[in-house]
Amino acid sequence: MAGQSSAVASRTGNNPFLRAVAALSTLAGWCSAAMIVAAVAITCQMIFVRFVMNESTVWQTEAVIYLAIGATLIGLPYVQRLRGHVNVDLIPLSLSKTARYYMYLLTMGLSIVIVAIVLFYGYEHWHLAYERNWKSDTVWGVRLWIPYLSIPIGFGLFLLQLIADLIAVLLKIDAPFGLEDV
Amino acid sequence: TELRLSHQWSNKDIRHQVAQIVADEVAAADVDLEIKIFGSKSLFKPREQYRPLSRGQLDMTVLPLSYAGGQQPAFNLTLMPGLVKNHDHAARLSNSPYMDALEEKMADDDVMVLVHGYLAGGFVGKDGCITKPEDVDGLQTRAAGKAFEQMLAGANASITSMASSEIYNAMQTGILNAANTSSSSFVSYRIYEQAACYTPATEDVALWFMYQPLLMNKTTFEGLTEDQQAALRAAAEKAEAFYLEEAKKQDAASVEVFEKAGVEIAEMTPEDFEAWRALAQETSYKLFVEEVPDGQDLLDKALAVE
Amino acid sequence: MDPILLGAIVAMATILVLFSGVSVALGLLIVSTGFLLIFDGLRSLELIPEILFGKLDNFALLSIPMFIIMGSSIASTRAGADLYEALERWLTRVPGGLVISNLGACALFAAMSGSSPATCAAIGKMGIPEMRKRGYPDGVAAGSIAAGGTLGILIPPSVTMIVYGIATETSIGRLFLAGVIPGLLLVLLFMIWSLYSTWQSGDKQLLTAGNYSWKEKFEILPRVLPFLAIIIGVLYAMYGGIATPSETAAVGALLCLLIAMLIYKLWNPKDLWVVLRDSTKESVMIMFIIAAAGVFSYMLSSLFITQAIAEWIGTLDVNRWVLMAFVMLFLLVAGFFLPPVAVILMAAPILLPIITTAGFDPIWFAVVLTINMEIGLISPPVGLNLYVINGIAPDISLKTILKGSLPFVACMVIAIILLCFFPGLATWLPDAIMGEAV
Ligand code: NA
Ligand code: NA
Repeated sequence: MAGQSSAVASRTGNNPFLRAVAALSTLAGWCSAAMIVAAVAITCQMIFVRFVMNESTVWQTEAVIYLAIGATLIGLPYVQRLRGHVNVDLIPLSLSKTARYYMYLLTMGLSIVIVAIVLFYGYEHWHLAYERNWKSDTVWGVRLWIPYLSIPIGFGLFLLQLIADLIAVLLKIDAPFGLEDV
Repeated sequence: TELRLSHQWSNKDIRHQVAQIVADEVAAADVDLEIKIFGSKSLFKPREQYRPLSRGQLDMTVLPLSYAGGQQPAFNLTLMPGLVKNHDHAARLSNSPYMDALEEKMADDDVMVLVHGYLAGGFVGKDGCITKPEDVDGLQTRAAGKAFEQMLAGANASITSMASSEIYNAMQTGILNAANTSSSSFVSYRIYEQAACYTPATEDVALWFMYQPLLMNKTTFEGLTEDQQAALRAAAEKAEAFYLEEAKKQDAASVEVFEKAGVEIAEMTPEDFEAWRALAQETSYKLFVEEVPDGQDLLDKALAVE
Repeated sequence: MDPILLGAIVAMATILVLFSGVSVALGLLIVSTGFLLIFDGLRSLELIPEILFGKLDNFALLSIPMFIIMGSSIASTRAGADLYEALERWLTRVPGGLVISNLGACALFAAMSGSSPATCAAIGKMGIPEMRKRGYPDGVAAGSIAAGGTLGILIPPSVTMIVYGIATETSIGRLFLAGVIPGLLLVLLFMIWSLYSTWQSGDKQLLTAGNYSWKEKFEILPRVLPFLAIIIGVLYAMYGGIATPSETAAVGALLCLLIAMLIYKLWNPKDLWVVLRDSTKESVMIMFIIAAAGVFSYMLSSLFITQAIAEWIGTLDVNRWVLMAFVMLFLLVAGFFLPPVAVILMAAPILLPIITTAGFDPIWFAVVLTINMEIGLISPPVGLNLYVINGIAPDISLKTILKGSLPFVACMVIAIILLCFFPGLATWLPDAIMGEAV
């Protein structure tokens, strides 16, 4: 069957690099979950302040948006580790074992290149915002480099996890596309 | 040569028409220049247009300049309460040392103005009329623009931020008691169905004016041939005249729509206007001057325009 | 190059890349980057991080993780089982009562969860083993839960409605209301089919299984109260002037977490982490697709493909219902392969102008689109609910699940046809509660 290859996490074997990356990704996952919880709490606080106390709510909406973006980007490596990014493996399924192996190298290679591109330009974007001290155009006026930081961090860790996944397959610790022998 | 223009408005909006005039005129001039318009946010989100424009990834845009206030705090002056009295005054501001100073700042970002233009707006109240500062005391208010939020907070309103598309539902369910935005947004979001009272911009006084020019990347402009530049300038001049005339009509048209919907129309007296302006001086003007290094100079230049 | 031809090439490339086993979000990024690089040059690549970030820069999106937390926190308690058991005790006399209880439980659960897989998992964990134990065929047991679970995105709250509302700037509160009656209609159709199939099988045992005293029937009622409290609390916050629909999600998430912790004793940090982990996993996956689809639609728009296709279809001189049939067919095929959120985000910018020009109501279309997407959830090769059932009952073969859910697919098609004849089924409730459409 195609798709979300069950809830199994990527395998690390006893490889120290793979384990270190897995630990980093898990840490990122905790941060991501914590940001979602914080967003829930702040939204409830906002409703309380506005509805019960009838006071201004100037910063909450923005804070919650940036937390949600942070949760998404920083959660990327963890979800990759859990194999939670939905995929359709119709072509790999129809291939022989060897062909599937090379197909995996190709798609993983492309994924790594694309994430590296986003990481590169994401870092530049963050750096520009930092250097020029861009702020959001609201009363709160958040320094934008803070939320933008989630782009290089999230994609940087994502890149690491993708490389680790590729290495795991190259070292035969894990199977291409998580497909054992269908 | 093909230029790409991005904006957030529908194809019936006055700001789209301004862009369309420029595109049509340039095409008619037959100088090998085509402007492709990407309307209705089909290319970029509204607040994400200025940065690509300044880096040459986008050639032209029509947008409220205050959207870029986070990058150039001086631009916040283009949405300051009570700075513009009416549309003719707005047109004089567009050709003043004040605007020259702003254009210098835009040039730092490699951006230039092709068509100047201001649009006005007003207030709506869910239960009552909002004409003077005391009227917003204790009301949950959604304001368009940072400077307005600061001023309304100074009048003891509770500020809540939400997308303009949420105003309708929020007023309906009572989350929101008052809102302030442009005349055309009030109409396009059908706020008249939820408001008890509308305080529009009039020919004499209006508090809410927003500078919404058609901008172009400077390097791209300078890379065009002289004929092409001349054609663009000529088209822009024609569009600017149209923009001013239509901007005046928008306010009256919005009043008509609200009246037809049975909404009470309130009028802001010159005394009310002065009260707001005095409040703004204590709040938004003051904060602006604190935030922007040459803010006082810019503000003086703007206030100097008769 | 002609934009339409270019569009066809992009479509082929997208299908090829998405079927290659790469994740949907990264696949969309790969295709977009490739075409942007070829036709717009290097300068457009600089924009990708900004577009990714910008697509997520929307308050309404936050309700996605929150509506998912609602579902998964309740799903990790025995609340689903309680709900299901209560319905079962009351419906035991009805032929096929167990299937009907399950469908009812799915519908009620859907009113608390924004996601279909969560609904499927919450009720299926208890419902599938129970139905099999009582002698219902595997296909019926698995199929009814797979189909019942899809209600998660039709009965409000709904993640796909939120995404549609954001993509098309339609009121989310209105969209939620529009899903209510069609959701109930679908439950009704599902139940009618279950009744018919049980009656036809003639298995006496299925008709009489389980006999409960009135005491037992009333005993269980208080255990359903937390559900009602959550549903009423959320509805009150949303339509009672306390919060906007996007903000309400936070109230719901908090209520569900509190109820899970206080009433169902979900104290253990480990158990709580499971709730958070599953919610984080599903929301990050959906939000990343949303962001990547943003880059994809930027590419389509930048190469003028979106505009050209919309114009081209506009010039086709066909009956509006023929047009709608083609749109539905296209969505159905897309839904076979892609998760609903990806289909909506990629198709909405192209389809919406066509739909509205042809005089269809965008709110009505959202409902029809959602039911269409529900079919995709239980159809191969990518049916999220199929994986969930596969996880709960690994010994039921995919073929059996599919065979069991096929009649429910027919019910969904009937619902779509009914909605075409009676659009009021979708538009009446939002109009009645919120006034005529804006
Ligand atoms: Na739901
Ligand atoms: Na499918």
